[in-house]
Amino acid sequence: MKNILFLLISLFSLLSPLLSNASLIEEKKCSACHRLSKIEVSKIGPDLFYAGNKFQSTWLLQYLQKPLTIRKAGTSSNPDFLKGEFENSHPVLSKKDAIQITQELMTMILSEMPDETINLKVLSKGQIAKTKYEFERTFSCISCHQSLNLAGKPRGGISGPSLIDAGNRLQASWVAQWLKNPKMFSEKNRMPIYKMNDETRLRFTQFIMALKKENLR
Amino acid sequence: MKIISQVSIFIYGILLLPIMLTGCGEKQNNPLSKSRPPRHVEKKSLQPKQEVDPKPIIVTANTRKTYQWYCAQCHGIEGKGDGINAKFLTVPPRNHTKAMYLETRTNKQLFEAIKFGGLYVGRAPCMPAWGNTISEKTIYQLVLYIRELCQCEAL
Repeated sequence: MKNILFLLISLFSLLSPLLSNASLIEEKKCSACHRLSKIEVSKIGPDLFYAGNKFQSTWLLQYLQKPLTIRKAGTSSNPDFLKGEFENSHPVLSKKDAIQITQELMTMILSEMPDETINLKVLSKGQIAKTKYEFERTFSCISCHQSLNLAGKPRGGISGPSLIDAGNRLQASWVAQWLKNPKMFSEKNRMPIYKMNDETRLRFTQFIMALKKENLR
Repeated sequence: MKIISQVSIFIYGILLLPIMLTGCGEKQNNPLSKSRPPRHVEKKSLQPKQEVDPKPIIVTANTRKTYQWYCAQCHGIEGKGDGINAKFLTVPPRNHTKAMYLETRTNKQLFEAIKFGGLYVGRAPCMPAWGNTISEKTIYQLVLYIRELCQCEAL
């Protein structure tokens, strides 16, 4: 009996370091609300299997400790989406856990995603004005996404994620790719597909990346 | 040798028999049917023909789902123009249950508004172009659904 007990204790001591290295994403059961691979069915939270392509690590770290509402109606999978009823009940994590989960999320990438935004130049004032016009009128993005008007006030619909702080939240390469081929990330979403030419698409990417909460007035 | 050849002829005969029978059967039917007089002859009526009802609009369940998925964000679950984006838009989304305006639009105009967006048909730019997202067939079905919602046709 003593021998068996000794064997169990030594086994536990051997396995405990391995267990401590187990994924915190698994331990926290993030997969209950988020898709961690493309083959899973839609879930109520945003997809995370390309989190490392999509989010900026600084933003993730802050969000996990102090969750904000990005989608006022929730995601498209929220059963009350069309009623606009959504309560962000994302768990608040400690700094230590937030750091570890951010690190794990940043490793979740789609290796086939190209980066077309490396050598982009800053938009001129004229280009910003032109893109703003197209954002609101030609492509009607404003109908579903909140952004900032000329006075620095929030403006726009709520069915899509808010873009007010997109420049701090998202990665430019992901925005460019989402505008080009949203099906690469999600088979089913409510956004229209735009066949923008590359010049317009990359200009839009820069315009979106310039939207930051620091510009709120 | 003779026995073998006789047996083989017999086997061929048995194998070909059903083919010959079925082939004949099909051919025999046609001349018979031509020669037979028709059993029922429609008598010409002197009464004026009854007016046939116009074909009912058939909106598929998939079209209704498409409306809920894409259009209801702005136009509302029941098409009353009260979707979750409505109060944030500069121009209110169209109420699809109001016949007064929709009667003034042709099906082609509605189709183009969905496919190419509001600006294309001289209306509000808030309405995006869905032509790359929704097939033409479904867009036409959506037009029919709007007609069902407004209970109206183009004047």
